Amino acid sequence: MPGDMRRDFSDREELIAYLAAEFPAAAAESDAVSATIGGRQAAEARLAAMRPAPYAATRNFLSGAVTRLSAYIRHGVLSLAEVRRAALQAVTRPEEAAKLINELAWRDYWQRVYAEIGEGVWENREAYKTGLSASDYAPELPADIATGTTGLACMDAFSHDLISTGYLHNHARMWLAAYVVHWRRVAWQAGARWFLSHLLDGDPASNNLSWQWVASTFSHRPYIFNRENLERYSDGVYCRECPLRSNCPFDASYETLQARLFPDAPPPAAPRRRR
Amino acid sequence: MSMQNPIIWVHGDCLSPRHPALAAYPGAPALFVWDEELLAALRVSLKRIVFMYECLLELPVTIRRGDVATEVLTFADERGADGIVTSDSPSPRFRRIRERLETALPVRVMPVEPFVRARQRLDLARFSRYWQAIQVEALSDSSDNAL
Ligand SMILES: Cc1cc2nc3c(=O)[nH]c(=O)nc-3n(C[C@H](O)[C@H](O)[C@H](O)COP(=O)(O)OP(=O)(O)OC[C@H]3O[C@@H](n4cnc5c(N)ncnc54)[C@H](O)[C@@H]3O)c2cc1C
Repeated sequence: MPGDMRRDFSDREELIAYLAAEFPAAAAESDAVSATIGGRQAAEARLAAMRPAPYAATRNFLSGAVTRLSAYIRHGVLSLAEVRRAALQAVTRPEEAAKLINELAWRDYWQRVYAEIGEGVWENREAYKTGLSASDYAPELPADIATGTTGLACMDAFSHDLISTGYLHNHARMWLAAYVVHWRRVAWQAGARWFLSHLLDGDPASNNLSWQWVASTFSHRPYIFNRENLERYSDGVYCRECPLRSNCPFDASYETLQARLFPDAPPPAAPRRRR
Repeated sequence: MSMQNPIIWVHGDCLSPRHPALAAYPGAPALFVWDEELLAALRVSLKRIVFMYECLLELPVTIRRGDVATEVLTFADERGADGIVTSDSPSPRFRRIRERLETALPVRVMPVEPFVRARQRLDLARFSRYWQAIQVEALSDSSDNAL
């Protein structure tokens, strides 16, 4: 029928060229394409490769055994229920799959919250617990973050990865979000919009509520990290090459960073290191 | 509300060949619509569109673009449909589109299989409380309900 979009493509290149022409605004946003291929076949291959026990031991490392199933789950190519079952089937004792299932539960949790609050995911659920008020945070994402030109090797790499692949490891998302909100004092909504434009798994519930969790508008305290933590879980790959390695804004104890970033925070708001 | 000749509206929260509506009404004409207003509002980049398009190419759907409710109703009209079947979503945008469709035709919203079947009302104030309540169920194979 006229008005129907095409379904016949001889290869991926042809599909990409067609879509870039059909959606010029999206291609102008970024014409990069992910190596992650859509569809159930690709999803099932990743599901079969899922390793719940190594996952539990290594998931906080950028090189860890994470599943990379998020885009398929986000778009319902796989249901959370079937991923949960596959995780249980991949182990001998259910406890070995507990960590992975606990992470799947985060998605279910955010979706349930979304069902209750709807567009409220864009509003601060609670006040910031940083000693600052919402108006202290800049409304727009600074250009050096969006273009990956801050000079910080870690943050610039995360920015480039986000835009070129549409995926970031959970820990990288947490570090980047904490940098945007707490070091740069940018409103989490600006960071959340940026992520949604690029993440293949971009989801208003998981994304916005995770940003709020980092920001402290949906948690008891702000999430921050320090260089030791980032260096350890990234196997030092960024710090080694970083032009700012001897002038790193993350290179301090949690106590020092807390005092520097949140000088007016009420006493109980000791920052959380990791979940 | 029995539909003899429905169309299926496939949306971006359920791009599975095991879509509950595709399973319940095999052979029914199915449509996906690129929501142009949403793409612009979210400034969605090309890679997300490519990923979703690849998912769509594995589904028996017609693909169009524009205003979703308008396009779905046009498609229903072309097929002489007596109803619309779709899958559930927590998105408020989904709810608004469904409400517009319902002014013209009956809409059947099919549930997707839940992560766990919660026995009690869940306290969603913090994740820890929610996890406490569902943990046993989540780690048990007994709620097995394979499709
Ligand atoms: C600032 C920020 C923004 C985020 N935005 C999104 C988003 O838009 N969409 C999204 O799906 N996830 C988001 N997450 C959660 C998490 O980072 C990703 O789901 C995860 O990194 C995806 O990689 P994976 O599939 O390899 O995850 P794995 O660690 O292998 O986990 C398996 C699955 O569990 C779910 N999951 C795991 N961790 C979380 C979590 N913390 N919250 C919700 N679901 C989780 C995902 O569906 C994931 O695919 C965000 C986290 C942060 C800190």
